[in-house]
Amino acid sequence: MKALIKKELGHYLNNPFGYIVIILFAVFANFMFMKDVFVVGQVSMRQFFALLPWIAMIFVPAITMRALTEERRTNTMEILHTIPLTAAQIVMGKFIALVIVAMIALILTLGLPVSLNVLGAGSGSSLYLPEVLIAYVGVVLFFAMAISVSLFLSGGTNNQVVAFLLGALALFFLNVIGTDMINSLVPRAVEDVLTLLSPANQLDSFIKGVLDIRSIFYFISTTAIMLFLTIMDIEKRS
Amino acid sequence: MINLINVTKKFGEKKAVDSLSIEIKTGEVIGFLGVNGAGKTTTMRMITGVLKPSLGTVSIDGVDPIDHHIATAKKIGYLPENNPLYPDMKVSEYLHFIREVKKHGSYLEIAEKVGLSDMLDTKIETLSRGYRQRVGLAAALLGDPHILILDEPTSGLDPIEQDRIRALITELAKEKVIVFSTHILSEVEDIATRIIIINRGKKVFDGPKPKGKGAVEKLFKTKVLENEIKKDS
Repeated sequence: MKALIKKELGHYLNNPFGYIVIILFAVFANFMFMKDVFVVGQVSMRQFFALLPWIAMIFVPAITMRALTEERRTNTMEILHTIPLTAAQIVMGKFIALVIVAMIALILTLGLPVSLNVLGAGSGSSLYLPEVLIAYVGVVLFFAMAISVSLFLSGGTNNQVVAFLLGALALFFLNVIGTDMINSLVPRAVEDVLTLLSPANQLDSFIKGVLDIRSIFYFISTTAIMLFLTIMDIEKRS
Repeated sequence: MINLINVTKKFGEKKAVDSLSIEIKTGEVIGFLGVNGAGKTTTMRMITGVLKPSLGTVSIDGVDPIDHHIATAKKIGYLPENNPLYPDMKVSEYLHFIREVKKHGSYLEIAEKVGLSDMLDTKIETLSRGYRQRVGLAAALLGDPHILILDEPTSGLDPIEQDRIRALITELAKEKVIVFSTHILSEVEDIATRIIIINRGKKVFDGPKPKGKGAVEKLFKTKVLENEIKKDS
């Protein structure tokens, strides 16, 4: 599986497309936060982390859209099926490589907490670093879940554009459930369920610097279920 | 070694392979012949575990290639039809990847064997068809598999490249079980020890290679036509 992870990383990092997507993510994420920093006037990263699920809606499908569709389109899936790799290893190898790519993109946002601390130094404010670290942990878990959802949906098509659109739609849906707008339209019982299922709400505890075991369980179990379904789908298709 | 017992493969209502039974033993070089759409590639995909039969059983050394995928994948080197490769990888990167998965052998030795030593730093997308075929063959040879399944290994190559690949297969045939499909009947005359002809998914001939120049072509045409007439009546 290590060999497959290295190969997958090579596809993204030895390719202009990979660099463009990562840099666009970093530029957009940094800009969307920094444009309001002086207006808000607070030394806080919470707005930034709350913004990331919406940016992930485009970034994650962009990096996952080729992972399985390209293998099917070029028939290289046939090669993967005939070398000593199980379907689970194929999926996990691609998943881990994608999470690494997402983490590289997130690393490019680490300048923000540094900048905020420098900007806030003048007024005696500073970031509470453990809160920022826990928030990043939550974001990584969110991205991993988003990647697993997008990867599963891309398995049903040979077309990268369709894979991208399916992933974006699914992540949009996941971002929207549990928002106040949707909650106001549904009965109370449904509202409670949607709040529980909403990744953005689960991420909220991390953003506030709380390592909530229920949220960790939510992200890990959702990711595991989606990866399991992807593995089953690949085995069924062969 | 390779055993197919009453293997049928359906795609929807269409039978691509119909009640096929074949036994292939050590030391054999099988020329697998058939017109386009006869079921050769489907059969090869079932042998390698890419496809599951709808009916019947496939076994490699007594085990199902899908249920025991890892064990059988180590025994089989497969060159698929149209030779799918990763165009953005260099030859060395691709062979290194396959070698790391198969965990056996040296990709540099194999590259030298197939004549790729000078192309290791070249991106696959810039290679000619002949060299790409050599990359596919090198990948199939990595891990020193005992069985080689080669689906049209000389398809689309110029005559000189065809001769090179044929010479390589002839050399490999001394130590491996080889099943290769081809439309070039002279290849079968040169390399195979046994011929299997399938038509419309059914086996119409299975026996030793006939002797004499042009004998394979005559046999092929006779058997295929016989089967067509039988189907029509």
